[in-house]
Amino acid sequence: MQLKADYVNAFYLATQEVFKQMLDVETELGQPRAVEDMLAGKEANVLIGLTGDIAGSVLYSYPQKMALEMVKILSGMEMEELDVFVTSALGEMANIISGNAASFLEKAGLKCNIFPPQIILGEHKTVSVAAQKAIVLPLKTNIGEFEVSVAVKNQTK
Amino acid sequence: MWKEKYRIGVELIDEQHKELFRRVTEFIKTVQSQESWEKKLVHVQETLEFMKDYVVIHFADEETYQAEIAYPEREKHQATHEQFKAEIEKYVAKLNDDGYNEETVKELGGRLLAWLVYHVAGDDQKIGRYVAQGKVVK
Repeated sequence: MQLKADYVNAFYLATQEVFKQMLDVETELGQPRAVEDMLAGKEANVLIGLTGDIAGSVLYSYPQKMALEMVKILSGMEMEELDVFVTSALGEMANIISGNAASFLEKAGLKCNIFPPQIILGEHKTVSVAAQKAIVLPLKTNIGEFEVSVAVKNQTK
Repeated sequence: MWKEKYRIGVELIDEQHKELFRRVTEFIKTVQSQESWEKKLVHVQETLEFMKDYVVIHFADEETYQAEIAYPEREKHQATHEQFKAEIEKYVAKLNDDGYNEETVKELGGRLLAWLVYHVAGDDQKIGRYVAQGKVVK
C-alpha cells in the first residue's frame, strides 16, 4: 500500500500548493477514506483522466458556494452561477493541480499523463472509472469543504 | 484582479503583467455582462486581437530578460509560454470556426483567468526570487 499512499499524497500536495498559490487559501486534510465507487458528491465536479505508469482518474468535487467563491477570488468579481466561465476556470485549476501532481510522480520515477478536464454538474452522480476503489481526501478551507478523490486501476511500476 | 504580491521587481515585466491582468479582467467583465451577445462580440474580438499580439510581445520580453540574467529555468519557462501560445491559437481557430460562439468565448475566459493567475503568482515569482537572491550575473 506504500505506493498507493504515494500517489494520493502527490495529489494532496499539489492541491494544497496550488490553492495557496492561486487563492491564498490554506487546506486542511481530514480523514481519508476508501470507497467502492467514485462519486461526484458535490455540485461542481471536475474529472481528469490519468494514463501512463499510473492509470485512473482524479475527481475534484466542490460545493457550489465554494466554487463561486474560488472564481471570485481569482477574478475579483462576484459570480452568480456555475456557468461555462466559472466551470472552465475550475477545470483549468484542476488541470494545473493534476499537472503538478504528475510532475511530483515523475520525479519519483512514475510516468503519468493527464487528459483534459471534464465538468460534471450536479450532486451524487457515480463516475464510472473502472477502478476497484477510490481514495477520498476531504479537505477543509475557510471558503468551504471539498473533496479530491483518486482512483487508480493499475500501476505498472 | 492584479495584486501587489505579484510584483517581481522588474519594472517592464511587472507593467506588462498589470496590463495582461487589466485586459483579462475587461474581457471577463464583458463576457459576463448582461448585454446582448451581438453588443459584446465587438469588444470580445478587439480584446482577443490585442491579447494575441500582446502575449507574444510579453513572452519575448520576459524570455530576453531571462537570458540576460542567465535564469537557470528559462528553457522550462519558455516551454510553458509555447504551450500557452499554442492553446490560444487553438481557441482562435475554434472561434473562427464556430463564429465566436458565446460558450467557447466563456470557456476561453475561464481558462485565461486561471492560467494567468497561476503563471504570474507561481512561475514568474521564481524569476523575482532568483533576482532577489543576487544570483544575477551580468
